[in-house]
Amino acid sequence: MREPENMLHMYSRWCAVLSIAAAVTAAGATRPRYGGTLRVEVRAAGEAADPPQTGRGMADLADAFTITRWEAGRIAVYSANDNASGGRPYLDTVEIQMARPLREQAIDLELGKADVVELGVNEPRRTAAGRKTWTSAPVRLMALVFGPRVTDERIREALALAVDRAAIHNVLLQRQGEISGALLPQWISGYAFLFPTGVEMNRARSLVAASPASARAFSFGFEDAGLRQIAERVVLNARDAGLTLAVSASGNSDVKLVEIRIGSDEPWRALGGVAAALGLPEPARGDSPEALLAAERGLLTGFRVIPLFHLPESYGVGARVRGGPGITPLGAWRFGDLWVEGSRP
Amino acid sequence: MTLRTRLLLIFTVVVVATVALVEGLVSRTTRNAFERMENQRVDALVTQFRREFARRGEEIVRAVNSIATSDAATTIALSPDPAAHYNEAPALAVAHGLDLLELVAGDGTIISSAEWPARFGYKEEWLAGWKPRGAFLRREELSDGVTLALAAVGETQAGDHTLYIAGGQRLDREFLSTLVLPTGMRVLLYRNLEAHVSAAELIDAQGQVQQAAEFLPLIEEVRKQPRETAQMLGSGTAAETFHALPLMGNASNLLGILLIGSSRAELVELEAFLRYTGVVLAGGGILVGLVLAWWATARVTRPVQALAVSAGKVAAGEWNTTVEVASGDEVGQLARAFNHMTRELAAQRERLVQAERVAAWRELARRLAHELKNPLFPLQITVENMQRAREQYPQEFDEAFREGTATLIAELGNLKQIIGRFSDFAKMPAPHMQKVNLNELAAETMKLFEAQLAQAQITASTELDAALPRTFADPEQMTRVLRNLVLNAIDAMPGGGKLTIRTRASEGGVRLEVSDTGQGLTPEECERLFTPYYTTKTHGTGLGLAIVQSVISDHHGRISVESQPGKGATFRIELPGEA
Repeated sequence: MREPENMLHMYSRWCAVLSIAAAVTAAGATRPRYGGTLRVEVRAAGEAADPPQTGRGMADLADAFTITRWEAGRIAVYSANDNASGGRPYLDTVEIQMARPLREQAIDLELGKADVVELGVNEPRRTAAGRKTWTSAPVRLMALVFGPRVTDERIREALALAVDRAAIHNVLLQRQGEISGALLPQWISGYAFLFPTGVEMNRARSLVAASPASARAFSFGFEDAGLRQIAERVVLNARDAGLTLAVSASGNSDVKLVEIRIGSDEPWRALGGVAAALGLPEPARGDSPEALLAAERGLLTGFRVIPLFHLPESYGVGARVRGGPGITPLGAWRFGDLWVEGSRP
Repeated sequence: MTLRTRLLLIFTVVVVATVALVEGLVSRTTRNAFERMENQRVDALVTQFRREFARRGEEIVRAVNSIATSDAATTIALSPDPAAHYNEAPALAVAHGLDLLELVAGDGTIISSAEWPARFGYKEEWLAGWKPRGAFLRREELSDGVTLALAAVGETQAGDHTLYIAGGQRLDREFLSTLVLPTGMRVLLYRNLEAHVSAAELIDAQGQVQQAAEFLPLIEEVRKQPRETAQMLGSGTAAETFHALPLMGNASNLLGILLIGSSRAELVELEAFLRYTGVVLAGGGILVGLVLAWWATARVTRPVQALAVSAGKVAAGEWNTTVEVASGDEVGQLARAFNHMTRELAAQRERLVQAERVAAWRELARRLAHELKNPLFPLQITVENMQRAREQYPQEFDEAFREGTATLIAELGNLKQIIGRFSDFAKMPAPHMQKVNLNELAAETMKLFEAQLAQAQITASTELDAALPRTFADPEQMTRVLRNLVLNAIDAMPGGGKLTIRTRASEGGVRLEVSDTGQGLTPEECERLFTPYYTTKTHGTGLGLAIVQSVISDHHGRISVESQPGKGATFRIELPGEA
């Protein structure tokens, strides 16, 4: 097992290589230019009265840029901070359109109306001349989370054994991220491969058959419309096992397909954050990888949470964006070193 | 029942029967015509459905083949990473107007599915060993259930890579809505996709059929035996005839049932109209028929009635009665014959009367001669004796004269008596009617003749009805009648016998019978018995029974005789009761 710090270091180098290669390929030898506006579109509504100060995304711009315009739920404009600790950014402003659906973001990127857009988990990775993709390390956990009404552990285990993660990963996720049966990704914990991810349909069926008929049907929800196709595949797999999942739009469903952002590359902190986000008990802290593994196993006992994948943050980047990559391995924005074509020399 | 009533009844029955027959024939003909028309409409609709089915099938085959021959299909077939194309089917389906489309790899693995995108990676076992063919019916599983589809399979060959394109369209309410239906017809589709009959699977152009339960028996019947079946559902104007057509799948399995319904409302309304019209026409026809029958029967029976009246008059003695001859038909001939008959009868009667009058005069002359001859002969002898005594025995003339004059006076008295009897018969007085008890008269008469009956060795008896009502009669004349009959009976029993007088109340009057056990009468004698001056006896004037008949006739009664030779005779008198 490799240390997480080593992996992070390797990942940073890999991103830098990718970025340089992309820049060389796309525009040949170019020099950074000052000025210009980077147009960014995000799904987040940003309906708070004030700009976000914490978390990923806009909060990451706080050092290099200062907020100059805030219209909750619509637009945010950040201007270059001449006194930034790393020096003034090349960009003059970053204009962020909020509450933009993924599909519209993709269209805006295609039409050149946006420079940086989010990519959905199953967004086809189309490459056009000069366009790039910024991809973080797998920092989002996609998992099934059971509510308190599903009390029969056999049913929960049956669903865990029925989901065909490989098919979803290959087709719907277009092989993005990693298949996982663990809460923490492999690059953070190093032992994620120890958690089983294969399909055991016969066992799933026998578990379902052993459970009462009334327990075999329950409601199923998902947080984001972009997860619908994955949810439908889970429903299909569940049906093969003898379970009936009724897709429900209400937030009060018996089982949910959720995405959790892992906020730290430090294993214990990451596990604690995931447990808190999933409503699991806080894991007892230890000082060894074995303790971490045991803590994670403890959290997954009972199949209240069924981890499915670890996915990266992905952004589509327009052809006129230079520099970067504009995100860190954990998916944080780093727009200070970016510039755009067509701005003043 | 009169002839007129009978004729009227016959006419009425004929009219009603004719109207009913016509109504029945019209109704039957109409029903047959309607059912022929309905069969034609159903046949046309079935043909239309099959044509539409074939047309849709051809469209689907074209669409599927169009996809199969497209560059996109070749690209997918050759792609080393089929997962990259999992989202192709929905767009292709929309572009080619297909509801269902699956792109399936040569090994049967679904690459992309338009109808159920989550099914990528699953196997379509039925495509193994697929042979190209046209469109076919297929049971298609969807995420929200199953559907019935008209499907076709295309095949793309790129080198040694095979890609199947399985496309189709749902057979649903939209498909049904494309069928052009004549008024009063509707089409339902039962999608036989479940193991058991389900009302939810029965649809029409508007969606799920309301009150589908009434169709379930017909559906169940076709499910058990997949063949065309017809059944009538509902009643009254809501009744419909449904023709069920089984729709077979690729493996000769029953996947659907097309139900073509034809409303019977038109027929029911037509029948109701015919019934109503029939009743009105029949009522009118019967009324008109009755009026005509009344007129016709009156026309037919009037001359017959005139004939009957005339015949009655003839019977009452109006021999010169004739009827008017108003037509030359059979009734006219009958009237002519009647007139001829009455003329002949009158003439014949006249001749008979004349003959009887002559005969009566002859009989009267004979009687008179006979009656007068008896006293005349002693008169002649007496006068001749007196002449002989004066000439030959003058000394004895005085005695002879005395004896002769005494004889002459006696015989002249006889002659006077004879003339008096004839005079009495000629001058029969009118009866003085009063209430009379015939029982009393009978008893008195029997008492009067007691001695004479005993002398003649005749046993007399009476059988008198104690409840005999009194009757209006002339007691003197009735006593005379009884005496004549008793005398007649005594004469009929010279060697003795038995005389019985009976009285009895009869319908509307009284009956009196005088029976003897004498020698009896022949039928000829019975016929002539009451003829004046007729007698079977060696003495008497022959006026006794004639007088009896005359009296009884004056009392509006009737006298008859029953007799057989050697068995006595019974005279029966019937008189009307107290008015």
